[in-house]
Amino acid sequence: MRFRFCGDLDCPDWVLAEITTLAKMSSVKMKLLCGQVLKDLLGEGIDYDKIVKLTADAKFESGDIKASVAVLSFILSSAAKHDVDSESLSSELQQLGLPKEHASGLCKSYEDKHSALQDKLRETSLRLGRLDSVSWRVDYTLSSSELSEVNEPLIHLKLQKQGAESGCSETAAFSISADKFRVLLSELKQAQALMNTLQ
Amino acid sequence: MLLVLTEEHREHLSMLPQVEPSVVGEFGRIALEFLRRGTSPKIYEGAARKLGVSVEAVQQGVEGLMFLLMESSKHTISEVDFMDSVLILGFGEELNQVLLQLYQDNKVQIRRILSQLIPSQPAFHQLEWRLDVQLASRSLRQRLVPTVTMRLMLSESEEGQRSTRVLQTDPSTLLHLISTLEAALAAVKTSHSRRILRNIK
Repeated sequence: MRFRFCGDLDCPDWVLAEITTLAKMSSVKMKLLCGQVLKDLLGEGIDYDKIVKLTADAKFESGDIKASVAVLSFILSSAAKHDVDSESLSSELQQLGLPKEHASGLCKSYEDKHSALQDKLRETSLRLGRLDSVSWRVDYTLSSSELSEVNEPLIHLKLQKQGAESGCSETAAFSISADKFRVLLSELKQAQALMNTLQ
Repeated sequence: MLLVLTEEHREHLSMLPQVEPSVVGEFGRIALEFLRRGTSPKIYEGAARKLGVSVEAVQQGVEGLMFLLMESSKHTISEVDFMDSVLILGFGEELNQVLLQLYQDNKVQIRRILSQLIPSQPAFHQLEWRLDVQLASRSLRQRLVPTVTMRLMLSESEEGQRSTRVLQTDPSTLLHLISTLEAALAAVKTSHSRRILRNIK
């Protein structure tokens, strides 16, 4: 059975098993649990005590609580990953055995936060290093130990970048003559024009 | 199986019957802390002063007790075997019960601590990937080069240090990699491996 929210693959067995656990909760409580899981996926942190309170009615043990949080975050994040619309998600979840009210509650929460989820997932995609800032300075060299009258402009550039590992920032500082800098600028402008044609 | 305790070990443990059983319980707690975090001479000095024995005797008693508990947990000997091994030392019945209680309460924890001492290889933690297409470069425009970039995160030993490796490949190498790994997985299902696994179970 191929499911769109699993990326046109089979649904993992553990998801099938935990959907029956989810069905044990009332649909209102499940919608609140979805809200908490969405907050966690969007990076706002998770309030474990609230979750324990929500699942206390259904008498979940700690293993069940963790499993239901895991299955909800899997469903929501992979639905956002594969850009599934909420009606297909609802029908697929009902095929897997989730009751109708639960499925519609889940899909309503998903639809509200759909674009926010996708933005967050886009941010956390693999990036091998980002440019943080650029600072520059133009100097004018008057003379040097080699030549008494130099009279040439010189540009100092400092590029601050975040390394491939998160949290380590590297600095590259160098100076560049006016001609080389003109070449660099025109090449970068060509690259920018190429990027603009893609937008 | 019975534990065989050396002469020296028995000597060290011989100071235990001279103190009350509650103190033995306290020594047990110190011994466990030793296993978890190491120890400090201050604890021994404090205990020695309170009991009126030498610091060395206290230290030997605690270390002997810790070694006894560690060996018992290592082999997960049953209660009967533990009692038999301890009977050889000739302690009183109450002391034996205290030791047995210590052993049972802490068996699981000690095994967990011991399992962390096993040398371990770096283990897989997470794999992130991205699919890029190179359209142009400074020297050449109108290109179409797909690349898959991966960041493999491994966890080293036990302190949770992560090491990261960044890899890049083109799609055909990636397909070859996938088919090699699938062949490796399929090797588990051959009759040869099934026969071996049946015997291990």
